[in-house]
Amino acid sequence: MKKPLLFALLIFISLSCITESEPNFNGIKFDGTGYKPIYSTVEDLAKIQVSAPQPLVQPGKIYVFDPYIFINESGKGIHIIDNSDPKNPQNLSFIAITGNYDMAVKGNWLYADNLSNLLVFDISDPKTPKLAKTIADAIPVNNYPPFNNIYFECAESKKGIVVGWEKVPMSEQPKCFR
Amino acid sequence: MKRKIVPALFLGLALFGLIMLLSACDSADSSSELSPQTGAGGSMARFAITGNTLYIVSKQSLEVYNITDGGNPAKSVKKDMSVGIETIFPYQNNLFIGANDGMYIYNNSNPNNPVFLSKFTHVQSCDPVVVQGKYAYVTLRNGVVCRPGNLLSSLDVVDVSDPTNPMLVNSQAMDSPYGLGVSGNKLFVCEGEKGFRVMDISNPALPVNKQFFQDIPSYDVIVRNKHLIVTGQKGLFQYQFDDAGSFQLLSKIPVL
Repeated sequence: MKKPLLFALLIFISLSCITESEPNFNGIKFDGTGYKPIYSTVEDLAKIQVSAPQPLVQPGKIYVFDPYIFINESGKGIHIIDNSDPKNPQNLSFIAITGNYDMAVKGNWLYADNLSNLLVFDISDPKTPKLAKTIADAIPVNNYPPFNNIYFECAESKKGIVVGWEKVPMSEQPKCFR
Repeated sequence: MKRKIVPALFLGLALFGLIMLLSACDSADSSSELSPQTGAGGSMARFAITGNTLYIVSKQSLEVYNITDGGNPAKSVKKDMSVGIETIFPYQNNLFIGANDGMYIYNNSNPNNPVFLSKFTHVQSCDPVVVQGKYAYVTLRNGVVCRPGNLLSSLDVVDVSDPTNPMLVNSQAMDSPYGLGVSGNKLFVCEGEKGFRVMDISNPALPVNKQFFQDIPSYDVIVRNKHLIVTGQKGLFQYQFDDAGSFQLLSKIPVL
């Protein structure tokens, strides 16, 4: 039963990102919108900044390490909260990190993603976390949007590093599809 | 094909036996306890730490780092996986990895070199997973992003008592499930903009809807004992709850 499905999937995967102009892929018509890469520079990506507490804007994942809660600000960084009293949590600090969605803690060390880089922070004083180490290209990232059955503008490395994708109206059908 | 299946089956059985032997002495269930040294993530996490090992799932691989020296993670191994990897949830001696097309189970008795045990395949979707006892709870969310077409979102219960042979025991419709959490006889499902769902799992194989909080849009949840931490587009909410299903708001950090 599963074989035809697998076969279809294989075909589908092999069709992904074919750069030739086809009327449509996978029977899905171009609807005048597509995903466009959001580029960043190497310098911007490397800009890690610790600041005073910031309000939550678009909270993402959470991580608990008693007595602290770490709240991801989607794609932007990490809020550190003192939760010693869950009835009155205190926002301690914010680490601005481009392309950040995940984190984990062991002892005094906070691990975080910075797109493809793995960062290590010393959080022995959670009010002033310090970047201790950057491991470049630790996390393989894809140069295509995290969606299926969509058209997108092919990423070009000479334009910079892709940190995200935005859906925009497009007058012409973009060359990439997945 | 058959010739390949039989040795694989034997290998799987042998591995399972080995795991049973290795885990026989480790009866302490630390599912809802935090070690003083490492923390806990929600079901949406791509990062997980157990002991001195940091696991990271990228879209297509499992990256393993030895963090005995916390400030200097040392790469142990990289396991290439198929595309569409989304989440990782460590439970006892196994890593449960949620992917677009199923759930992978790796044994991490040797923390620095996890061994692939099995893959539970399902339809294309987004699917975080949590585990308690012998069951894994997997949410499958539909939508353009994850599950194209008009298929329903669902909550699947998978018997993982034999991690080499996961088996589906129940599946029921959900609205738009994201993260989920489990503690004791309660299962919590973040339903995105729709709200926050509370289910009773007194029968762990058959979650039953109990409460639905429409005023708590939710994305990720961490539950420990009777303490609930939820994030969503309105902010971070903390609750204390009891077995009877009464929830007391402890605090909130609103989105500004």
